[in-house]
Amino acid sequence: MKLKTGLVTLLAVGLFLGCARREPTPGVTDTEILIGNIQDLSGPMKELGLILPHGSNLYFNYINEKGGVHGRKIRMLVEDHQYNPQKTVAAAKKLIEQDRIFCFYQVIGTSPCEALRPTLEEYEIPLVAPATQSGTMSDRSRKAWKYIFHTDTGYDKQANILVDYALEENPDAKIGVIYQDDDYGANVLKGIAEAEERHGIVIQKEGYQRGATDFAGQVMNLLKGSATHVIIGGVVKEPIITMKTAAAMNYSPQFLGISPTMDHRVALAAGPAGEGFIAANFAALWNSDVEGAKLYRELFDKSGTDPKLRGMYDFYGFITAVVLVEGLERAGKRLTRERLIEGLESIKDWDAMGVFPPFSYGRNDRSAAESVFLVQVQEGKQAPITDWIE
Amino acid sequence: MKGRHEDENLKWIPFLILLVFILPFILRGVTFSYRYYLFILNIAGIYIILTVGLDLLSGFTGLISLGHAAFLAIGAYTSAILVDQAGVPFGVSMLITPLITGLFGIVIGFPALRISGMYLALTTMGFGFIVRRLIIALRQWTEGASGLEVSAPQLFGFAFRNDWHNYFLIYFFVIVSVVLARRIVKSKLGRAFMAIRDSEQAAQAAGISLSRYKLVSFFISAVFAGFAGVLFAHTSKLITTDHFDLLLSIKFLIFALVGGIGSIYGVVLGTLTIVLLEYLFIPIFKDWLLTMLPIEAGDIQALIFGLIMFLFIIFQPTGLYGMWLKMRIYWKLFPFNPKKRFT
Repeated sequence: MKLKTGLVTLLAVGLFLGCARREPTPGVTDTEILIGNIQDLSGPMKELGLILPHGSNLYFNYINEKGGVHGRKIRMLVEDHQYNPQKTVAAAKKLIEQDRIFCFYQVIGTSPCEALRPTLEEYEIPLVAPATQSGTMSDRSRKAWKYIFHTDTGYDKQANILVDYALEENPDAKIGVIYQDDDYGANVLKGIAEAEERHGIVIQKEGYQRGATDFAGQVMNLLKGSATHVIIGGVVKEPIITMKTAAAMNYSPQFLGISPTMDHRVALAAGPAGEGFIAANFAALWNSDVEGAKLYRELFDKSGTDPKLRGMYDFYGFITAVVLVEGLERAGKRLTRERLIEGLESIKDWDAMGVFPPFSYGRNDRSAAESVFLVQVQEGKQAPITDWIE
Repeated sequence: MKGRHEDENLKWIPFLILLVFILPFILRGVTFSYRYYLFILNIAGIYIILTVGLDLLSGFTGLISLGHAAFLAIGAYTSAILVDQAGVPFGVSMLITPLITGLFGIVIGFPALRISGMYLALTTMGFGFIVRRLIIALRQWTEGASGLEVSAPQLFGFAFRNDWHNYFLIYFFVIVSVVLARRIVKSKLGRAFMAIRDSEQAAQAAGISLSRYKLVSFFISAVFAGFAGVLFAHTSKLITTDHFDLLLSIKFLIFALVGGIGSIYGVVLGTLTIVLLEYLFIPIFKDWLLTMLPIEAGDIQALIFGLIMFLFIIFQPTGLYGMWLKMRIYWKLFPFNPKKRFT
């Protein structure tokens, strides 16, 4: 008899625990949506790790003050991955299992995002707006493509556009490229190879290791190859050092930069050496007149943060938050992960308050933007010199 | 045979092994996020297999290596290519891949015959860079730097699909590796290694062929790393060159140092401690630590790690295992401890 009672109790407890474990959608309550962001807070890109979430929170706070999305406020958790793919997966599992987030948003870096694919697939959890412009993010031949919504124009497409631009400007241009010897560079080189084939030209390629601070060798080689246009596939410090090195060697080709170089601090820090530098932008400038940028500046000033943070990267955090909120709005009141995916898929020719080129997702389309516009440094200030070009 | 094991207490071993296999069930019972803990333990398990091998090389033979992340990478990529592109079954790859990695171990072992210490560390470090470049260059098979997708492990028709399955697979081999390493250490081979570590001249005088045993040591160490690589590739399911950077090689040495280099149990303990600290405790207690320390979130880990390394090297060069041994002797002799001996 005692045994029977015991068994029944055990069964009851088991059932209770079993039921407790199954909640409708993780991270979604009547008042809150919990999202997970994995940034580099102590690795090679830590200067971005604080800025991006700050920009995102500007918009989330704005939405929350207006009453949230369908009555739910958005709360973002930020984990550190030190630009290490394995730590990214560990942080992701922590966010999913322990914090029980609804979805991922803005994980920074190509290889961290790539490493996340098996996890996204296992848990069927979306990743909205990965903070990388690598074209591989929207590659449908790769695992878990269904769950990744890429917002930006890929590096490969940008490289193509820059080569086209250089040849248009000067049909006899000799083009060189400085690339980071990792996944970022691999995607740039993919675009370069396509451009080489299309135009039947040869482009001089000079690689550097991520984290390098000396580019004298690369610049010297480009000088020897007498390149008239040099595409820089760097982030912030690489274009600055490269242009300063070239200036010191009395070598002045037209420098063009892939989107990570578009931060206005590049123009500031490079000084006279950076004059004339052209960078590809996949989103409107933060100090432009489009609606989104105006709202950004207004919210930034209201928040009372250090004005030093204000700039392209902070704005990037801001505008990707706009995309996520749009997806959540479209997903409707009964929010599930599946519905978020459907909501994002329904976005057609939408420009996020004028910030992006009109972009669309679809059932089989995970890349939003296909075009960039070019911005040149003129007298120490960034000025757009083209419209959206494909 | 009894005399061989005088120095250790074998009766705890079965309990320990049992605990290893019961642990996931306990975790599942007490916490909802057990899969996160298992994932962390799986990382630790794979690293244990590697550091045990590293210990045979660095701790027992006295040859330092900063190239073990590269051996891990070779194992991982070789197995991924063998299984997914050449169609070799996972079980077979598990046997072949470590041997292939072992051959690379011999290749890098040759320079070790002539150089030692810092120079060897630099050579092995260079090897790490070469392997990284090679992986990027062999784009055709490795997909370069953009990351290679790998299939899940499959043994005897059973697919290990998630962290729960992987735990049992990995820890089975962790136990096998530890037992194997212990056997090697206690054998003629192990004694030769230690003789070389303690004095090359004396070892040579005793008739030990330095070149042969050094190469064997590199081979065995690389085999362990290659095996860890196989498990790493198929349980991570996606590998990139960023997984295997120089920092990882340095970390392996830290695992060994903190645990107690030159002792198999020591490095197991060291690896577990550091991995749990790095992946579990620091992320979980980060917010709490931040309220106490006036620093940025990202700096916490560097601060704690730096402090651990610093304190261990100054106060506890024999590592955690050395600490444990001292404590054990202390309690065995209690209350008849000679004063000032155990400080």
